[in-house]
Amino acid sequence: MLLEVENLKKYFQTPGGNLHAVDGVSFAIDTGKTLGVVGESGCGKSTLGRVILHLLEPTGGKILFEGEDITNVGKKKLKELQRSMQIIFQDPFSSLNPRMTVSETIREPLLITKLVPKDQIDRKVKEMMDTVGLAQRLVNSYPHELDGGRRQRIGVARALVLNPKFIVCDEPVSALDVSIQAQIINLLLDLQKERGFAYLFITHDLSVVKYVSHDICVMYLGQLVEKSPAAELFRRPAHPYTQALLSAIPVPDVDHRQERILLKGELSSPINPKPGCRFAARCNFAKPECSKKEPELKEIAPGHLVACHFAENKQA
Amino acid sequence: MKKESEILLQIRDLSVEYQTEDGIVKAVNGIDLNVGKGETVGLVGETGAGKTTVALSILRLIPDPPGRIVRGEILWKGKDLLKESIPEMQKIRGDHISMIFQDPMTALNPVHTIGEQIAESVILHQNLHKKEAEEAAKKTLELVGIPKERYFDYPHQFSGGMKQRVVIAIALACNPELLIADEPTTALDVTIQAQILEMMNQLKRDLGMSVIMITHDLGIVAEMCDRVAVVYAGQIVEWGTTRQVFKNTYHPYTLGLFGSLPDMKAADEQDFDERRLKPISGMMPDPTKLPDWCHFAERCPYRTDECEKDPIPLRDFGDGHLVRCRRCPVPGKEE
Repeated sequence: MLLEVENLKKYFQTPGGNLHAVDGVSFAIDTGKTLGVVGESGCGKSTLGRVILHLLEPTGGKILFEGEDITNVGKKKLKELQRSMQIIFQDPFSSLNPRMTVSETIREPLLITKLVPKDQIDRKVKEMMDTVGLAQRLVNSYPHELDGGRRQRIGVARALVLNPKFIVCDEPVSALDVSIQAQIINLLLDLQKERGFAYLFITHDLSVVKYVSHDICVMYLGQLVEKSPAAELFRRPAHPYTQALLSAIPVPDVDHRQERILLKGELSSPINPKPGCRFAARCNFAKPECSKKEPELKEIAPGHLVACHFAENKQA
Repeated sequence: MKKESEILLQIRDLSVEYQTEDGIVKAVNGIDLNVGKGETVGLVGETGAGKTTVALSILRLIPDPPGRIVRGEILWKGKDLLKESIPEMQKIRGDHISMIFQDPMTALNPVHTIGEQIAESVILHQNLHKKEAEEAAKKTLELVGIPKERYFDYPHQFSGGMKQRVVIAIALACNPELLIADEPTTALDVTIQAQILEMMNQLKRDLGMSVIMITHDLGIVAEMCDRVAVVYAGQIVEWGTTRQVFKNTYHPYTLGLFGSLPDMKAADEQDFDERRLKPISGMMPDPTKLPDWCHFAERCPYRTDECEKDPIPLRDFGDGHLVRCRRCPVPGKEE
């Protein structure tokens, strides 16, 4: 396994108490594979990506990269690690330095890591621009001169230039129009095929996640509620939250009729969460015991794990 | 087709420009649209297509300068709104036609209670006293699923989905005949979006309102709209009932939009390594330098020299299904 995460926790201290942003998440990603993470705003999916990259320090749990425990590493080792682990951010309008040209942005990681001899940096930048489909004439352009799709290509180039093994894609296409979104998704799929990147693909868009992922984790209030191979999850969603989430996608087909499962209320607070199932308050199947005992992830089919006391019963 | 008498709003040849440092941006270029009573019409397209400009024109809310309505008529029950006086427009806004804006986080005034904000339009339009307006506002709150006890709460005490309900309550307070919803759920999570869409459908049925639904999401169009206009670079490129446009898609841009979507069914059947979406190549043309001919020509896979000669008119492909393309029916569509 390239990356393994065990019981990872990240709490934030707030005036109201401990905010459980990520609370006991475990999974593994292999080279060349994509693990999709879906969930709604505030479920902790972005925090998860940042903790793995050490942009935030974990509160508990373990992160293993190529079998090595990297949960607590020194500065020097961390710098080395960050060559292999990169991130693509959501918003290409705020994640690029407005004062740096395309080439300066792509070049910066090379200057910092000194991975490539100075006289070859220009060549490397050009090569990267070709890889992500940015025309050479844009080499001295500033971000404000470019549209969202091209800016996101710069973001991709910047993440790839150090030839990482693992990339966190944090909502990489959410800020883009559909036709441009499709261009970037194709780019990410092609790059994975050619270079065997492992992606942690964080998104709230369920149709995108199904398309790009091998496996999918569904997150709710800092915890994984379901984890499954992508096709299986859509065929047989077992957790009531996943079922509601999938039924809520508007389908672009006039003949599509489906019973929509409407959830009660909204996300409850992740600050000092109550014991028991965190979804119980909104769950249409909740029973008294749900708010007493916290459900654990149980395997209901090969590779398909669900955290619900009644998951098996509901599988018709 | 709707009968003439049922038409509430009719837009004819609307053109809007913005004066910018880089030149004149032609945001809307000759749009014709009509909305019948009780009907939901979708305006779908990508960023910069001119959807919001159309909506703002109807309410005469285009910031002028830099914006300017250059041409056209907007007939509301036969009266041209573009010729109305400002006081007359103020009576129409919020009372007969109201609008829901995209971002509920910024559409509400943070220093007033939500109740006051709903009551404001009732007081203005219906000459009610404060106490009566409060009662009316509380009723509207319950209509959108918010307990009336929250009348005295401030926007920051509400979550995103609840704020959008408040915004909808403000829009509905005076029982408008036409509601313009500009990306009403784009800022919301999908389960909350489902709640809001369900509620809007319910309200449409109960109140018999007409709705103009502006969105970039074809799924929402399929679910909510009776008819749909696909907008590209300030023009309608395809117009028809939702069924016509979704089932007999003609325009290459509309086809491109559908092709760009990750197809959930294809993802089941295709091998992972073979997955590729079919994006539309290139980008939207520079709105300061729009060509005189087909705006989509430079991105169109079916382009011929013919396409780059004259403006392309909308042609009827049967039963009011209008398409702005010279080459349609598109070769290879039948496959």
